Amino acid sequence: MKRYAYYLSCINESMTKEVDRSIELWQKELGLEFVKLHEGTCCGGSNLDYVSPKHFALVNARNIALAEKMGLDLIVSCNTCLMTIRSAKKKLDETPELKKEVNDILKKEGLEYRGTSQVRHLLWVLVDDVGLDTIRKKVKVPLKKYRIAPFYGCHILRPSTVLGHDNPVDPTSLDQLIEALGGQTIPYKHKNRCCGFHTLLVAEQESLNVAAEALQEAIQAKADFIVTPCPLCHTSLDGYQAKALKHAGVETSIPIFHISEMVGLALGYTEKQLGIKRHIVG
Amino acid sequence: MTAPIDQHNETKKDVTFRVFRFNPQVDSKPYFDDYTISVERGITVLRSLNYIKEHIDASVSFRAFCQAGICGSCGMRINGLSQLACTTQVWDVLVKSKEPGIIKIEPLRNLPLIKDLIVDMDPLVDKMKHYSNWIDSTMPEASMGQKEFLISEEEFLRYDKATDCILCASCVSECSILRANKEYVSPAVLLKSYRMNVDSRDAIHEPRLAELVKDHGVWDCTHCYRCQEACVKSIPIMDAIHGIREDAIESRGVKDTSGAKHAEAFMSDIEKKGKLIEATLPIRTNGVVWTLQNLLPMAVKMIIKHRTPPPPPLVKSAKGIKVFRELFREMTEHVKQDHKSHKK
Repeated sequence: MKRYAYYLSCINESMTKEVDRSIELWQKELGLEFVKLHEGTCCGGSNLDYVSPKHFALVNARNIALAEKMGLDLIVSCNTCLMTIRSAKKKLDETPELKKEVNDILKKEGLEYRGTSQVRHLLWVLVDDVGLDTIRKKVKVPLKKYRIAPFYGCHILRPSTVLGHDNPVDPTSLDQLIEALGGQTIPYKHKNRCCGFHTLLVAEQESLNVAAEALQEAIQAKADFIVTPCPLCHTSLDGYQAKALKHAGVETSIPIFHISEMVGLALGYTEKQLGIKRHIVG
Repeated sequence: MTAPIDQHNETKKDVTFRVFRFNPQVDSKPYFDDYTISVERGITVLRSLNYIKEHIDASVSFRAFCQAGICGSCGMRINGLSQLACTTQVWDVLVKSKEPGIIKIEPLRNLPLIKDLIVDMDPLVDKMKHYSNWIDSTMPEASMGQKEFLISEEEFLRYDKATDCILCASCVSECSILRANKEYVSPAVLLKSYRMNVDSRDAIHEPRLAELVKDHGVWDCTHCYRCQEACVKSIPIMDAIHGIREDAIESRGVKDTSGAKHAEAFMSDIEKKGKLIEATLPIRTNGVVWTLQNLLPMAVKMIIKHRTPPPPPLVKSAKGIKVFRELFREMTEHVKQDHKSHKK
């Protein structure tokens, strides 16, 4: 069994609860044990870093230090949490005086940020640690009847100086996972583009235009569903889909799946068990 | 037995350049022309295009000048990615081509097309004028020309990288929000605005910032990082965008715009609960009326699907929140001290 500290993302605790629930269903089958980090706090959602760079460093040094205390890598299942925590880690590792300042505060909680735990995405764990061969062997219901559009989202790819797992121009890890589960990936230009989530409350129309473009390409390519490793992309593409497509004059719709649900389907769990029925788009 | 061809030892190969063509005065719609030429290792895309123009088809139009990555004229999309033709080697992009042996050349996105690979830069220049992308000196006019106006090295380091911008518009071409709305300020203009705003010799920081926080300004950036990833000079453009936002919150307050209110909510929620209180985020960002008008139909669907975020009292605090708050507040004291010593 491979053990990891599991970061609880705010959105997965509130709107997209199906992500963590579906992971819980199959983690053991894939030889994974995720220890939930209940003491962890919000990463700052790609906003705290400019509101207060020092609080941003403190909060995320602490998130990582909690995993380091257990001697485990920190696994994240939201792209923005991943990018945000990894950005903080890079800053801390490159700035000894910041690291010291943060550690002087953290020691009051008996914590120390050392920089020993890696911060990684669930998708990377599946592809790199579990491995595609093992996943192929575990599949009970191959997804061969589905044409799937892989939507990576921004913060698992860019900035590549912080992420560095996939080539941001032509990422492959999600495509590989789909194929290992027996599904068929479609060529999808929007695979590395944006969902518009981060400006939904500030520049709504622009965000909806961004989401609509990604949705329309998948619909035109006759994909059965879009799959994404990010619950924020899911919220934009699923929750706001009706609004985005209405404005674009498109009448059809397309379901959006989390990677954890797609894995669960291939491992034989039902849509109900996986929480797929909770999606706005059925 | 024949030895396999070692691609690394190959010095010459036939390459097809699939070039976007469109002359609005003649053509009803755009099309692609294929030009196949023999290319040696080390040759750039620009030199190949020059060869095509000189020897095969003089009508192919593109902009270029310095051929050394300095002037920023030859920005274009090469195999889908916005970059400079003069610093991009044919063999480097060939290995990433979707169709073997073919390199697709298209004009930059998000700017009006003039002809073939030439786009109109005027909208970008107009925005640079609109956002006052220059220094209006604080030096009295009488002193000008009499002495140098120096800055410290420490200050220069804050915008050193931003001064590397050559206005090639690769970031403009890749921008997600500009794609959605051409009125958006655009990343190159934000970068330039940041560079001017942090210059202590500048006298128009406040009016420039006031313009930047309006609609289509700095808060409309959706953090997709495409601009930064495409930058031909590896400038951390998002640092500049975040720099303007940090400045806006500090100089104009957290209640200034919906963007500032939205950003500040993260800070206050983390201090309160260690978690984001998502249920009230739309109201705190845009007020009750906007939220009811814009989100009510979706909220109904979310209620039906048991998808609504919990109301604030039911948001469970992170475990050990009391100790966390103490740490958080201690850092607040550090930040206050920093501001005091910065002002000194």
